[in-house]
Formats: sequence, C-alpha cells, structure tokens
Amino acid sequence: MALSQIIKQPTMKLLEEKFLALSIQSCSAIQSRNKQVAPQPRLRNPTWLTKKNRVIHDDFLTADNAQFVQEVIKDRYDVPPKVELPKNTVEWTPKLKRTGVIARKIGELPLWLKTGKKISTTLLQVLDNHVIKYFTPEEYDPPRKRPTRIKNKAGCLLLGAEATDPTYLTKEYCMLFKNSGVIPKKHLARFFISPDAALPPGTPITAQHFSVGNYVDVRGLTKYRGFQGVMKRHGFKGMPASHGVTKTHRRGGNIGGGGEKGRVWPGTKMPGHMGNRYRFAKGLKIWRINTKLNVLWVSGIAVPGATNSLVYIYDTNLPRRKPSNPLAFPTYFGLGDAVAEEDIYEESLHRFSDPTIVFQKE
Amino acid sequence: MLVSTIRHFKAVNYHARILRTFSSQIKGQSSRSDTSKSLSELRNVYVEFLPDPTVEFRNPIREKLERLDMLARRGQIDIPEFYVGSILAVTASDPHSLGKTNRFVGICIKREGCGLRAKFILRNVIDHQGVEVLYEMYDPALQKVEVLRLEKRLDDKLLYLRDALPEYSTFDPDMEIEVLPEGSRVPVNPLKVILKPKPWLERWERQNLRGVQEFEISERDKRRADKVATPWLKYDLMKNYMNTIPEEEQNEIFSEIHEQLQQLELTRKKLKRKRSFVKPFKLG
Repeated sequence: MALSQIIKQPTMKLLEEKFLALSIQSCSAIQSRNKQVAPQPRLRNPTWLTKKNRVIHDDFLTADNAQFVQEVIKDRYDVPPKVELPKNTVEWTPKLKRTGVIARKIGELPLWLKTGKKISTTLLQVLDNHVIKYFTPEEYDPPRKRPTRIKNKAGCLLLGAEATDPTYLTKEYCMLFKNSGVIPKKHLARFFISPDAALPPGTPITAQHFSVGNYVDVRGLTKYRGFQGVMKRHGFKGMPASHGVTKTHRRGGNIGGGGEKGRVWPGTKMPGHMGNRYRFAKGLKIWRINTKLNVLWVSGIAVPGATNSLVYIYDTNLPRRKPSNPLAFPTYFGLGDAVAEEDIYEESLHRFSDPTIVFQKE
Repeated sequence: MLVSTIRHFKAVNYHARILRTFSSQIKGQSSRSDTSKSLSELRNVYVEFLPDPTVEFRNPIREKLERLDMLARRGQIDIPEFYVGSILAVTASDPHSLGKTNRFVGICIKREGCGLRAKFILRNVIDHQGVEVLYEMYDPALQKVEVLRLEKRLDDKLLYLRDALPEYSTFDPDMEIEVLPEGSRVPVNPLKVILKPKPWLERWERQNLRGVQEFEISERDKRRADKVATPWLKYDLMKNYMNTIPEEEQNEIFSEIHEQLQQLELTRKKLKRKRSFVKPFKLG
C-alpha cells in the first residue's frame, strides 16, 4: 500500500532519495553485525584509584574564607577518630598474614655490634599509617581474576599515609576517607591479609607493629637509570681496552649460536631500560626501633629506591626467617604495658651510650 | 742510618717547633678553650656534626638521630679538637689480643666523612716502614684519643707524605703532650716537605700543594697539568654553595646541640685539671 503511494508520487528525485536511504540503512545493518556487549577490559584500576589532585583555580576566595576553610578542617580532623579495638582477636600463628606498612627510606647509617663488628643499616621511617578500609575476601574483586580457585582467600586492607591538606584534593579522593574519619592522606597502599588480621578503619599503625630481631621484606621503586648497556645493566665484563680491540669495549659480544638454535633466545641479556621497577629486598633484619620517630634500622644498604622515596614493609615470607616468638597481632595497640622505651635495640647491638667495648676472653 | 734519620727528624721537628711558637705569637688573641664557642669555631671543632651536603641524600630526621647517637658516644669518650697535621695518639681495644689495648701515635693526614661515618688516617714510620691506620671516630672500640700536638698544616690533606722523605712522617711513639698556652689560636705549621723523586702514588704536580718544596717535573708533565687545571672552579659560586651546608642551617644544627657540647667540654676541662696534677715521687 505504502509502496504504491510512493510510486504514485510525481517526482523521480524523491524516489531516488528514498531508495538511497534504504540502501544506507541496509549497509549499516551489515556493519553492526556483531551485536555483542563490549568485552571486559583486561585491566581495571582498583576503586580507590581516582583522580587525586584538584586543579587549583584562582577562584575568588577571600583570605577570611580561606581561613574559615582551614578552621573547619582543623575542627573536623584535629581529634583522631575513636577506634573500637577488634573484639575477637586470635593468637598469632605462623600461617596468619598481618598487614604491612607504608614507610619512607630516610638514609643509611652504620651501627656496631657488641663484638666490635660494624654493620651497615638502612633507616626506614614508618609514616602516619591509618587503616582506611577493609575489603573481605568476598567483597574484594580483583581486577585480574585468577584462573584457578584459591583455597584461602585473603582480605585486602587499604592503608593511607602522610596526612595532607584536603583542599588540594578532589572530592572523589576525599570521599574515600569519609567512613574512616581519618584526614585524607597523600599515599594509599593495599595489603593482602588473613581475614583474622582485619583492622577497623581509623586504626593507627606504628613502627612497633614490627619487633626487633625479626625479619622484613621491603618493596620499593628502584632508581630509574634509563637505557643502559650490558655492563651497567647486567654486570657484563665488556671487552679489553686495548690489544687491537676496536669499537667493542663495552659491548656484550655474542648473543647466540647458529644451526638449529640460530636465533636470539628469549631472555637473553641485552641493553635496555634499567630501574624504575618495583623490587623486593627480602629477609632484612630489624636491628633497632625508635618509637618516638617511628624509625626502623634494617640490615643492609640494598633497599630499593632513592633516599626519601616510599617503600612498603611486609613481614618476611622467607621460610627460614619466620619469627619464632608471637608477633603483635593484628597490630601493636600499646595496651597493657607501660610507656615504651624510646629506643629498642637488638640484644647483640652496641648502644652508643654504653661504655667502650673491651674484647674479653670468654 | 737509623741515627741519621732520627737526627734529621729531630732537626725537622725543632724547626717546626720554632715556627710554631713564632706563629702562635703572631696571632694569640682568640679564645680557644672558652666553653662558649662561636659558630665559626664550632664548625671547625665539630666538623663531622655537619651533614653530607649532597642534596639527594639529605633527610632531617636521619640527621637528627645521627647527631643524638654521636652525642651519646661522645659522652663515653673524649674526642678532642684536632686537624689534619695534628699529631694524635689513639688507644683502641685490640680484637686480636683479647683484653689488651693498642696505642698508635701518628700524624693525621686525612679527615673524611661526616656523622657516624667520620674517620681519620694516622701515619707514622715505624722500623723504617710507613704505617697508616684508619680510625673511625665513633667506633666503640676506641678507648682514648689524645692530641699530642695541636697544629694545622698548609694543606687540607697530607697524603703526599706517602711520597715524601720518611723523616717527615716519623714521630716518636713515646712523645709527650705539648700543651698550648691558654687562649691561643691553633698554630699553622708552615713546614714544606721534600718529595722523593718519581714514581709517585699520585700526580702531585696537579694538586697545587702548598706544603711541598719546589720539585722538578718534566716539560710534558707540566704541560699536561696545565691542560687539566681548573683554576676557575673557585669562582663557581653555585658549585661552592652546593658543596657546603648554608650558614643558616649550620646555626640551626649547632644551636640544637650546643648545650650538650658545652656540657661535654666542661667535663673535659675537669678531667684535664685532674690529669695535670702529678704526684711528686722520690728519686733514688
């Protein structure tokens, strides 16, 4: 019926247009043949990774108003949030996994043992860590799903460190801290823990979370060294400086054989980008703790990262360096015992206020 | 041979002493032993309390903790004022002979490091053999540090003594403490040492040494020394600033530890008085 009407229309041009429109429609139908929902993106950021810093506009905020905002912030955050201690705490067992902490690498210093031996240590300052949120194993939805089923699922604890002025932050970022009552922090980090080690939001974590004599793993972002040759990147020996060597003093040499293996094998050490990766320094002993400034002295000077960079400290997972004595579980609350000493030393360590060492016969 | 070297060494020391008394007569008005020291004096006496000026290694909390440890150690051992060129005697517990101590006398040829890492090198010639010992200032095995002769030399490092005639670094191990008059400035010994002929351990001709007598070098070495010389660096104000701790920060550091240092100095003074009294004994 409709078609007959169109045909009856006098102008050929109109008909032509109608036809063209029809043809285009058919074309588009062919293009949208795959009527699927867009596939899930492979990598999805965690929910707390929102835009952090606000663009600071020169809005017409008078000095009085700015002061008022600061007063409001002070009123709101001056008193630390009251945290109810977890009720059903269990005794620590080696299978339980506690939370780690966010710390800053502040330098390297020597210490001496009572035997007169000098050891080098790295100082890690535990920042003002607060629990922001705890995700139960069911709640926590990892961006990358494991193909296999995991037996003992871990919960995820979100920690924040280094309080900052919230007026410089976006609203979304500040909202992350709303339920904990903690002042917004500069740095966030997640730690996978046993569900028994869960902590209520707002709980502070100090350097006494760790104890002297135990071992920790420290994770940090190594210094970026750019595109480096094999001598610096992999410690190759290079070639001789003289004896007829031309233009190959710092080169790697041969990178593979011929015949059936006539190709560059995967994993061959070659020049490339060096550093700027997260790396672990494992099994570092805690020699000394300053409870006032929250500083740990850990053994060695190979903690990844530059001085004043952030590091993350975990209980070690090296099987032979697991602690023998029970740890403060889920964390150190400072209950019961009297005011802690300012400096806690490992037994074999010489204190600088001790008298001079005299080597005696045993 | 031994006699001749000792005689020579005595002669050198004699000259040095005359010059020292002379120089101390010239400028002997500042107060060295006053308990209240000005900033310029404090930073000379307690050099190692100033942190490493490298910007990327600095952290105020680490530096503060380091200073506390240093003061705690100084409460146990008296580390007196000394300079490169001073003659020291260091007594240290010996890990290789249990229960005993080891005393070494020598001239300080280098001071380096800051904070707990501060160290110095002593040099002496013992049985015709040059001996150098590196001591860490805050090593808890050090029992006593005595300054036998407090003086400065013309250079900041005396490493060239390794290539000088041995009499310039020979000192009597049983040397007695030479007491400077109260309130005198640290004398500068203008001694010029004679270097042995080449081969040397370092290219001394490139280092603008002031405490070394004129020596002959080949035309080629001279040319090369001129080529690598950087006489303009002393005018590089920015570089100079980056290699030092600014005065404001020095003030801050020393005002923080001033009281403890003063207390240490008072106890040292008391000890000194105690030490100076020697009970007379009968002869024969």
